Amino acid sequence: MIVADDVHVHFRRGLLRKQVRALNGLSLEVREGDFFALVGQNGAGKSTAMYCFLGLLKPNSGKVQVLGRTPDLGSPLYEGVAYLPEEPHYHLYLTVEEATRYYASLYGKRIPTKTINETLQRLGLAQFKTLPLAKCSKGMKQKVGIAQCLIHETRLLFLDEPTRGLDPLAVREFRETLRDIHQRGATIVMNSHVLSEIEMLANRVAIIDRGKVVVQDELRNLLTLDRELYSVTFEANGVVPDYLTSVERLGGLVKASIPKERLYDFMDFTRISGLHVHECSLKKVSLEDSFFKIIKGGGAPV
Amino acid sequence: MAELLRANILANFAYYRRSSLLLAFMLVFLLLTGLSSLPPLFMHSGVQSFDTLRQIFSVLNGFLLFFAGGLGLFIISSHLRSRSLKMVFTKPCSPALWLVSAFLSAVAVSLLLNSIVLAGAAALSLGWHLPVRAGLFFVSVDTFVASVGIIAYLMLLTMLVHPAIAVTFALIFNAGLFLEFQQWAQVVIRSGNSSLALRALERLFHYIYLLIPMVYAFGKKTEPIYSSLRVVHSDWKYLLYSFGYVVVLAAFCYSLALFALQRKRHI
Repeated sequence: MIVADDVHVHFRRGLLRKQVRALNGLSLEVREGDFFALVGQNGAGKSTAMYCFLGLLKPNSGKVQVLGRTPDLGSPLYEGVAYLPEEPHYHLYLTVEEATRYYASLYGKRIPTKTINETLQRLGLAQFKTLPLAKCSKGMKQKVGIAQCLIHETRLLFLDEPTRGLDPLAVREFRETLRDIHQRGATIVMNSHVLSEIEMLANRVAIIDRGKVVVQDELRNLLTLDRELYSVTFEANGVVPDYLTSVERLGGLVKASIPKERLYDFMDFTRISGLHVHECSLKKVSLEDSFFKIIKGGGAPV
Repeated sequence: MAELLRANILANFAYYRRSSLLLAFMLVFLLLTGLSSLPPLFMHSGVQSFDTLRQIFSVLNGFLLFFAGGLGLFIISSHLRSRSLKMVFTKPCSPALWLVSAFLSAVAVSLLLNSIVLAGAAALSLGWHLPVRAGLFFVSVDTFVASVGIIAYLMLLTMLVHPAIAVTFALIFNAGLFLEFQQWAQVVIRSGNSSLALRALERLFHYIYLLIPMVYAFGKKTEPIYSSLRVVHSDWKYLLYSFGYVVVLAAFCYSLALFALQRKRHI
């Protein structure tokens, strides 16, 4: 669905026109039906990569193909594509209803008022339809962006930091809507800093570092079990054995990690002290663990 | 394509309706015009009424020209600076179509304002028992045609440079300035200094004068109409000529602006 092959993008910035490499040989592939996440530090090149996929930025070299074509501004290939930019890039002078109608009409078909109203109702925006976007919260603006996907059943959706600045309730609602859109068959490409969010939504991940994809894999391959460590949660009695690591105190409980060879020592300790063990399992490697390991140069963790 | 054009034009109309900058500009100008027109309104002779009408009409038409520049400038600069075009060009709506819609929206608003000013002038004529002269219509159409040229020119300049630079360039480096430079060079040459450099400079001013768009391409021919509001049969052809000039100018500015928009590396 999307293929990027050895894409280079560089800018010149500042008085001395110093060259900044935004993408440095980025290559990746997004398959149909993927919920694909671009992950990376600030300035890694996630947004730049997305702009290249959308034709908003022309690479200096390399090849980008979206739905089998080279993306270009306003190209017919966007008939099945929707894009949700970061907050400020909407037409803030339009009202919720006008913006929904406008963005939906840009696909070339007149949208009946009934469809617009039904979509606004479904997204919980009906009572705000006369409110200008400039006065809307970020969550409401994102819903306006999402409305176009619901009206047109888009095949490919690009999301640029979609949950940044949203409150937890709005994040949860937004997540459900994205799951719904994905289940209907849309391919979603998202870039985000919120790794826990990606863990919940994506099925494939590309980790970008300094303009290059360092790992591209199924999320499940990055979220493996660490067979060297156990994660335990037990009642606290003031004493914590020194072989426990990553100790966290949660009220009357202690959460910690134990090396596999000390598990039996820990069991003896809890039996002798008469402490209840609430949880004991092989430690899961989170996307965050994998991310830091990869970024620090350790390579892929699996 | 018709639906895309319609959707963009409606969105642009909403922009014009809600642009507080344009609204403030309009209100300040109308207030100043109103204040300067107050004293003559209390004079009652037919000649004074005609002069008042002509003055108000002339001031309002001048305002319409400035306002047309604002219409062209703001529609481009606000969309470029807010980066909202990302939402447009990531849909099957080409830059060519969006630019046409922006141009047509500005032209439509300008036409509406010109019509209001013309209707106001006709109403004042009737109210003051003056004949509704054909010159009112001529001047209105001529101003509208000039407005179309200004819209296209300002849209092009705003696409190329920062809006503040675009305004400065349009106000200072206009055709009149280079005509004056050329005339100055001609006077110096005639007075005996015919150096090669001066002659080259005179030619340079001449070509720049030809290159820079003119507000009224046939201003010298139509000047009497603006002062008397009388039109003779042979004058109407100048409207047609002006229209032809503006069509060519607008097409040129549009093509260049589109080229610049498409060449922008980052929307």
